[in-house]
Amino acid sequence: MSRYVERMDNMARLLDAGRRMDALPRQSGATLSEWTSIVIASGCSGSFPGGPEAATSSTVREHLVRDETNPSSIVSCILAARQNAKAVRPSLTSEVWEAINQTQSQLKKHLSEEFDRTNLTAFLDWVQGRAALIVGSILGTMMRDQRLGFVQIGKWFERADATARLLDVKYHVLLPKVADVGGGLDYLQWLQILRAANSATAFRHEYGRSPDAEGVVDMLVLNAHSPRSLRTALDQLCVELTELAQADAAPQQELIKKFRNKNQLLIDQDLDEIFQFGLHEWLTNFILDTNSLAAMTADAFGFGAVTTPDQ
Amino acid sequence: MYNEMFRDSALRAEYAVIDAWLKKHGPVALLERQAEAEELFRRIGITFAVYTEGTDPDRLIPFDMVPRVFNESEWSIVERGSIQRANALNCFIADVYGARNIVKEGIMPEEMILKNPAYLKQMNGYRPPNDIWSHIIGVDIVRTGEGQFYVLEDNCRTPSGVSYVLQNREVMHRMFPDLFEGGHVRPVDGYGELLATAMQDVAPANCSGRPTLALLTPGQYNSAYYEHYFLADLMGIELVEGSDMFVEDDIVYMRTTNGPERVDVLYRRLDDDFMDPEVFFEGSTLGVPGIIRAMKAGNITLVNAPGTGIADDKSIYTYVPDMIRFYLNEEPIIENVPTYCCERPDELKYVLDHLAELVVKEVHGSGGYGMLVGPTSTPEQVEEFRAKLVANPTNYIAQPTLALSTSPVLTPDGMSPRHVDLRPFVISGKKTALIPSGLTRVALQEGSLVVNSSQGGGVKDTWVLSSDRTSHA
Repeated sequence: MSRYVERMDNMARLLDAGRRMDALPRQSGATLSEWTSIVIASGCSGSFPGGPEAATSSTVREHLVRDETNPSSIVSCILAARQNAKAVRPSLTSEVWEAINQTQSQLKKHLSEEFDRTNLTAFLDWVQGRAALIVGSILGTMMRDQRLGFVQIGKWFERADATARLLDVKYHVLLPKVADVGGGLDYLQWLQILRAANSATAFRHEYGRSPDAEGVVDMLVLNAHSPRSLRTALDQLCVELTELAQADAAPQQELIKKFRNKNQLLIDQDLDEIFQFGLHEWLTNFILDTNSLAAMTADAFGFGAVTTPDQ
Repeated sequence: MYNEMFRDSALRAEYAVIDAWLKKHGPVALLERQAEAEELFRRIGITFAVYTEGTDPDRLIPFDMVPRVFNESEWSIVERGSIQRANALNCFIADVYGARNIVKEGIMPEEMILKNPAYLKQMNGYRPPNDIWSHIIGVDIVRTGEGQFYVLEDNCRTPSGVSYVLQNREVMHRMFPDLFEGGHVRPVDGYGELLATAMQDVAPANCSGRPTLALLTPGQYNSAYYEHYFLADLMGIELVEGSDMFVEDDIVYMRTTNGPERVDVLYRRLDDDFMDPEVFFEGSTLGVPGIIRAMKAGNITLVNAPGTGIADDKSIYTYVPDMIRFYLNEEPIIENVPTYCCERPDELKYVLDHLAELVVKEVHGSGGYGMLVGPTSTPEQVEEFRAKLVANPTNYIAQPTLALSTSPVLTPDGMSPRHVDLRPFVISGKKTALIPSGLTRVALQEGSLVVNSSQGGGVKDTWVLSSDRTSHA
């Protein structure tokens, strides 16, 4: 449930970032559009009709917002979140349930209102507002016990995955030419990535300089204060899983060890080494690793597998 | 009258995207979306307080949704002309508080400086880093025809309005993303970086490591408070009030939750008079006692420096073309509007003889108050002003009424032309630069030439088109 809530929020942010990128000056010789990068970042390359290279603003909107055959579209996320919430309804407070249930019941109206419009912005605002309401209800009304723990785990897995994919966009589409690094366009593109991660303002506060590759990767991978960094996601997963694991459940204790190792690796991770290794390769490994940890977690705690985006 | 949307009564190619957009939606449907735009401005919190009794203190500046467009060559004039002007003005201020070569060379009488209320003798001998006194200069520019621009006035103290430049774009982009697709409009995102970098560039020589920047606001009751926190947030720096700061051993600190932190560069949005009760207005509780001492000791840089008002006074304005020749050895790229100084008897006589054709302004006035627009005034108003002029001629200047260019605005009766001006914001640190946009103010009353927001003027999103889509900063 919470994975879907987090995902609908991320999808809305990504689509908003796509709108901003669409207004940036084109690179000469760029073969792929910004919308392709959005599809890749959304993890929907596999399901995208005609492949991500064919992406345009309208086909991306269709696939990432409305397409119910895409399990990661905003509509699918809202339906799935509600369905999952219904299945565990007794574990939720009525505030959480109503926030989720009402999101679905309002969905049709908001979708049809947006239909005639030339842009999605108001709809995306609504989606982000609903996600904030649901997350706020979860944190403000649920008992701080196991049930909340599981809800939080879903959220942090999803966030780690989304942030890693978002960073990888830059590799795929935005800047194929090394010669452009440091130019104006480079800066604007990093800025849009930060905006998609809701971190543009925080970046200046935290680093006091213009967004650049090192800064943005540090912020979204290694920074322990960023609510969207991989580091924070893993820190939080360790905390939550440690709380949840039973002392006498061997697979759970095994799992905790794995998480602590991975977390420690990230704490000790040197920024330069990521670039030496290759940002894309590093992120790809991270995404695969996190997904396999998510599967192991589901296994060890005996809950169902979650639909992950493409690998 | 020059309408910027047309060239020889044919639609200018620069406006093709906007024209298609207007035709697609129709003015009526677009006007209906005005409420949506206003809702967005309210949500962001971008309001402008005007202190008139009984009115909403959090007033919105009217926003007209039809963007104003500059092509690359037009913008090149505006950009080079504003930078040239900013450079000359900074040379002038440094000269006023330094060697006064402009007086020694006989270009400007010294009394123009000494008698000016904006001249601060306390600044004599002070030298700011890089000799930049006015780091942010707003140059008010009007247009009368194809490629014809004039500077109406300079704003060298604490010019405001840049937040509207950025937020007008943000709102237009949110509501009509199609208008911007393909990247033909140059982005304005770089303003925060430009200003923060300039502030770092002018850090005191004794500052080691990354300079700590802050923005000083008079507080939340100031009419431009929105802009203060917007800019602080944009740059990722602290927003402080005078009471958050103190001076010890000529070093300025701000109080933080981790104890005092030294401030190296302060963007102050507080008038000179209130900056330091030790030096200026004694009763000020908004400023920081001792901050001027700290500045003179070279321990903090104030952005803009005190005393920069000497350069933007309407009587000094007439000398700016001479300044450009004198300091830069260049010819002005953008001319001044011809201006009559009423303190000169022959010019006063001309002004009194042609009062009904001229615009008369108070030398030290601002905000569009206390001025006479001859052609649109009644004979009684003209006579009333004549008496004021005769009584106190040094207080006034006069200019011909220019045929200001117009730009179309949305009205309930369809599109209608209204007069516009432009304020680009020139930033000086190590280099002098500006973002490709500026504040377009529009006189919303038909025929009116007054664009000031305090007088019912509105604003527009201002586009600079990129011809080469790969090169920009």
